Amino acid sequence: MGKYYDMLMEDVRMREGMKACMNCGVCTAVCPAAEFYNYDDEAIERLLRSETIWYCGECMSCRPRCPRGNTPGYVIQALRTLSQRLGFFVESEKGRQQIALKRTVGDNILRTGYCLTPRLINPDLHQEQGPVWRWIYDNDKEVYGRFNPTYMQEGSGALRRIDDASMAELRRIFEVTGGAAFFDRIEECSDRKARELGFDGANDEYVMYTYTTNRDDHH
Amino acid sequence: MENKDKRVIVVGGGVAGMQTALLLRERGAEPIIVEREERLGGKLAGWHKLFPTFTPAGEVLEPLRGRVAEAGIEVRTGRTVEEVTPTGVVLNGGERLDGAATVVCSGFEVFNARIKEEYGYGIYDNVFTTVDIERMMNEGRVRTAQGNEPRRIAFLHCVGSRDEKVGAHHCSKVCCITGVKQAIEMKELFPTAEVYNFYMDIRMFGPGYEELYRKAQLDYRINFIRGRISEASQTIDGWVQIKAEDTLIGRPLRMSVDMLVLIVGMKGGASNGAFARSGGLTVAPNGFMQPRDAFFGNVASERDGIFYAGAVTAPKNIGECLNEGAAAAERVAAYLKL
Amino acid sequence: MKRNTWQEYQKEVADDNYYYLRSCIRQNFFPGSEKAFVRILREELGRNLYDDPAHTSCTGIGYHSDVVLHDTIMTVVARQFALMKESGFENAAVSCITSFGIYTEVLETWREFPEVEARIRELLYKATGRELYKPRNLAHTSDIIFHHREAIRQRAKHLLVNHRTGEPLRGVEHIGCHYAKIFPKEGIGGVEFPYVLAGMIEAWGGQVVDYPERRHCCGFGFRNYLVQANRGYSIANSQKKLESMAPYKPDFILTNCPGCGMFLDKWQYTIAEIEGTTYGQDGKGIPVLTYEELAGLVLGYDPWDLGLQMHQVDVEPLLDKLGVEYDPAAKYLMPNGRYIGRPEPATVNMGVE
Repeated sequence: MGKYYDMLMEDVRMREGMKACMNCGVCTAVCPAAEFYNYDDEAIERLLRSETIWYCGECMSCRPRCPRGNTPGYVIQALRTLSQRLGFFVESEKGRQQIALKRTVGDNILRTGYCLTPRLINPDLHQEQGPVWRWIYDNDKEVYGRFNPTYMQEGSGALRRIDDASMAELRRIFEVTGGAAFFDRIEECSDRKARELGFDGANDEYVMYTYTTNRDDHH
Repeated sequence: MENKDKRVIVVGGGVAGMQTALLLRERGAEPIIVEREERLGGKLAGWHKLFPTFTPAGEVLEPLRGRVAEAGIEVRTGRTVEEVTPTGVVLNGGERLDGAATVVCSGFEVFNARIKEEYGYGIYDNVFTTVDIERMMNEGRVRTAQGNEPRRIAFLHCVGSRDEKVGAHHCSKVCCITGVKQAIEMKELFPTAEVYNFYMDIRMFGPGYEELYRKAQLDYRINFIRGRISEASQTIDGWVQIKAEDTLIGRPLRMSVDMLVLIVGMKGGASNGAFARSGGLTVAPNGFMQPRDAFFGNVASERDGIFYAGAVTAPKNIGECLNEGAAAAERVAAYLKL
Repeated sequence: MKRNTWQEYQKEVADDNYYYLRSCIRQNFFPGSEKAFVRILREELGRNLYDDPAHTSCTGIGYHSDVVLHDTIMTVVARQFALMKESGFENAAVSCITSFGIYTEVLETWREFPEVEARIRELLYKATGRELYKPRNLAHTSDIIFHHREAIRQRAKHLLVNHRTGEPLRGVEHIGCHYAKIFPKEGIGGVEFPYVLAGMIEAWGGQVVDYPERRHCCGFGFRNYLVQANRGYSIANSQKKLESMAPYKPDFILTNCPGCGMFLDKWQYTIAEIEGTTYGQDGKGIPVLTYEELAGLVLGYDPWDLGLQMHQVDVEPLLDKLGVEYDPAAKYLMPNGRYIGRPEPATVNMGVE
């Protein structure tokens, strides 16, 4: 098989997720993304550069239904990882959003040890969170402090500050598993693409552009 | 030759078993049929009409039953067979019936649709199986659970077949044409109803089947949608909401029907494991009994003196089961040197 | 609702000695729920639970947004399990559906691909000096509440009954995709008719109402919510569920996953603001509860101690039906009575005049 196929098959999620398909459609039938976006078939490289692979919400609704034991959601994960390794993700609008995810969730993990923390959910960027969230955000120390006296401080409990030794271990895990290099790869490819698109590198302006831009031909 | 040397135990009194017994009797053997139900007939006893000719099931069943009675063939009904050997069988309760050969005609089990939980059979009122539809047709009244004439009916092919999730990789073969037949019957009963068949492949293997499929499309305007239904749920007005993908246009679809009919497949007989253990036989990976050879030994088992006929070895239609009954009788006669 | 088979899908849930693995989303949006879980386990049920300050996020949201690599998350998970073992615990109690799916999947991956387990063992040692360990028991915290549901009922102050009419309250459930869709046998009741939440509602006197989109995803879809441009996906899927359940006039929505609970709460607000549609009775929203909150109300905990003021949709209509005594004025006050301002009113809270 081809080079990209071989690279994909190195990922256990690909081996586990994709056996033989009879194209019965039970996966698409319960796919939240399929109802929302316009899915169609493409070859691997085109896929890796395409919008299509970024539509899936990884809800795995497809998994329990497949009569051949496939998991399309795993295949999507493997494709997305490869698309980023190869730098193809910046060729699609949805793929370019990976920089926004890296800068928010990714960086937050290495900074705080959590995927999200209240300060990350800025009400101005999350209007849909409503006025109660704004009230919580504006009074976070009081509101969270009510449930946990160690809010943002060391100790146990919800949203405690995670101690330095644990954070150092977490960062070392990212180093030794290639997770940190993968972040760098996302940064580097995004920076190149940002310049190509006329930005001054992958700065906040570019990240905001990827975070908010939405062409109307996805549906 | 003494009588006991001509005695053949026929396990199962469906069409294959009755045919085997009748032809053995013609050859001068002394067949005895053991049937687990109270009457002869097997699965056909619950059926209304047969594909592809719409022949009433009774026109096949009644002559067979009548001829078995006329021939004075001994029949033990209401008895199950627990062990098979070349020289006889053991019935429930431990009674042993001796014979000079055994023909296993114990057929298949209908797939239990409750196992496909996502379709809600036994939970949602308007989810039925093809077996239910035949029963309702026999009763002369096909209605939704609310007692209404159905207005929109969906048939789902391959329920319990070609599905790793229920441990059934095999194709049950006869369900495609059954689905087409029942779709046409529904359209005959309810001409204004919309009828949809959800399929992955339509396998029209027999004479007149493809023609019937074409007729279903052209004359009866039955809608064939290529996609397996993924789940069913009940709406507040008692209809059934279904989700599938129309794979030919690549779009998910959801619709509500007032009848969802699950076209249930065939699985290997529940007694096959016990038969294999007692008789030194093999259950094939698909759950049916493994015949001796796929070409020259379809009605022979791996063991001399034990024979097969009918759907005990694979999904088959009525005609094939009748032919296998004849073929098995021939082989048994040769074995007994009749 | 009718169901055939939940008894056939049983899993072992440890009875005591839990190692608590907290959830990013639950801590952010439902910190009172995690507090209530600890309180119920320790104070009501007398169970031993360790709340280890050294554990971190499982990084699952990053993983399912495809910025965290498979090897990275497996090693993070391995570290959590190693910490658990070092603390003398064998039973993981996972507070998050995303994490629960990930922990289960990691164990399954190690089982099926031993070479992956060997690689992660090495990576873990290299990064932390710790030894790989696999828990004896892995349960979601809802499994644990389910496991103790009868004991909770015995201590109940309020059953899920309308105290004015005596009628059982009507609950709709939303399970969260990663609870059982990835590994159906790991979910109580399986994937199609999960019983983990329904069992609580029924044990505590309520009635579970089925609705056509019960199994549909809430619409989180990770990147589909986290990136602003994609949020149409998220709201469209939540709306599909809300429209499907509304005709059944549920008194509350019960959620297994903190993300789903947050979305079903917040998107009701957004839909009401955008198009004026509300799904609850009297033109308001349908209250959304976590199972810890529901258990806390059954046990007579103060709603504001449970954190119900952090919901966008008002829960007071449900509290009134339950006959819970509460101080309406204290909702947005601090426990010492200090006023810190209050949220602006929204369509979903006001109802149609």
